[in-house]
Amino acid sequence: MELSWSTFILEAINFLVLVWILKRFLYKPVLDVIERRKAGIEKIQADARALNAEAEKSQQLYESRLADWSKERQQARDTLQQELEAERARGMNALHLELEQEREKARVVAAARETSALHLAQETALRQAALFATRLLDATAGPETQARLVDLVITDLSQLPAERIEAIRSSYGQTPEVIVTSAAFALDDDQRERLEAAMRELTGLDIPVHFEIDSELLAGVRITVGAWILACNLKDELEGMAVIAHAQ
Amino acid sequence: MGETSLQIAPLIEIGSVVITSTVVTTWTIMIIILLFTWLLSRRLSLEPGPVQTAVEGIVSAIYEAIAAVEPQHARRIMPFVGSLWLYLLIANLTGLIPGAHSPTRDLSATAALAFLVFLSTHWFGIRIQGLGNYLRHYIMPSPILLPFHLISEITRTVALAVRLFGNMMSLEMAALLILLVAGFLAPVPILMLHIIEALVQAYIFGMLALIYIAGGIQSRQPPEQEKE
Repeated sequence: MELSWSTFILEAINFLVLVWILKRFLYKPVLDVIERRKAGIEKIQADARALNAEAEKSQQLYESRLADWSKERQQARDTLQQELEAERARGMNALHLELEQEREKARVVAAARETSALHLAQETALRQAALFATRLLDATAGPETQARLVDLVITDLSQLPAERIEAIRSSYGQTPEVIVTSAAFALDDDQRERLEAAMRELTGLDIPVHFEIDSELLAGVRITVGAWILACNLKDELEGMAVIAHAQ
Repeated sequence: MGETSLQIAPLIEIGSVVITSTVVTTWTIMIIILLFTWLLSRRLSLEPGPVQTAVEGIVSAIYEAIAAVEPQHARRIMPFVGSLWLYLLIANLTGLIPGAHSPTRDLSATAALAFLVFLSTHWFGIRIQGLGNYLRHYIMPSPILLPFHLISEITRTVALAVRLFGNMMSLEMAALLILLVAGFLAPVPILMLHIIEALVQAYIFGMLALIYIAGGIQSRQPPEQEKE
């Protein structure tokens, strides 16, 4: 167990050289590699964090846009719902109005049909009444009835006012040449004379009066002066009633 | 080699310079380390292979062990302390090779290493704190403690050298004695113990050196800085 100074010094120098060798070829390059790797890993982590932050930002932006889109969609849906409600209300109103018009039209048509049916029934009734009256008067009319009608004509003509007489005289047109008097039954002389006198007094003309027999008149006379006709017989009265009824 | 466990026979003598097997073995270890690290340094890449991964693990473990004791100056003291660990580990295990002897069974080698630790303690302390601040710690907290500080510097260095030398020499001697008494294969359990002892002694020597250096660096630092 001796201490050799040569070995002591050489060992000391050897170890210092070994320290340099290890520092030069081991510690420094290996630590540099480890630090470069750490730097690379930190850079990757930083990039990953940046990407993550960007992704989170994009996610927030997307969620914000999604929320806005959802809100806009809800607003559009509400607007559409309101428009649909308004459109439906307008449609319902139009439908009600059209239905009311249809009802009114149907009511008017029904009323028109009812009125028409009533008129038809009235006309039929009048026609039947006229037919009944015609048959009744045809069966019951006779010279006596005609005599009373002739008296009635003479009396009425004698009681006409002056302006009425003037109106009748102006309605002739050209001055007639003859006065035609049709009767259902033959007139006696007295009746003929009184009629001639009444007609001359009415017309103020001195023209001949011709007497004819027309059995269709049933009873009474028809006096024709030019364009002016005076009907005082059952047939014309019945037809006049039918015309008046039809006109109503 | 014609030497006993207690005597280191000189191999070459050049004047007053004596080359012993301890020096030759150390040179051999240095050459192997140089070749390995040189090849390794040329093949380092950011995507490591198995060898580089293992080497990076060893270097990282050394760095973290030093940083746990002295985090502020770990990068600066790592080459010295790390080299102590690596060299002592390899040197201690060299004794397992038949015909070879561990350099650490030579008191001259362990004394040289202990002396370098002694010098490095002051070197790092002065470089980091400055000469005045470093020397002032010998009279802190009281100048009365100066002799005790000086004695401590010497005794701990001697203890460092003798502890390693004694353990490694005794291991080899025990194996030799068992081989002489019991015969072939009998010293195998002792050789297994040699491996564990080599690891433990390398760790103890390097850790004590680290603690001494860290103590020299932190001897004048304020409390809050020491906490860091």
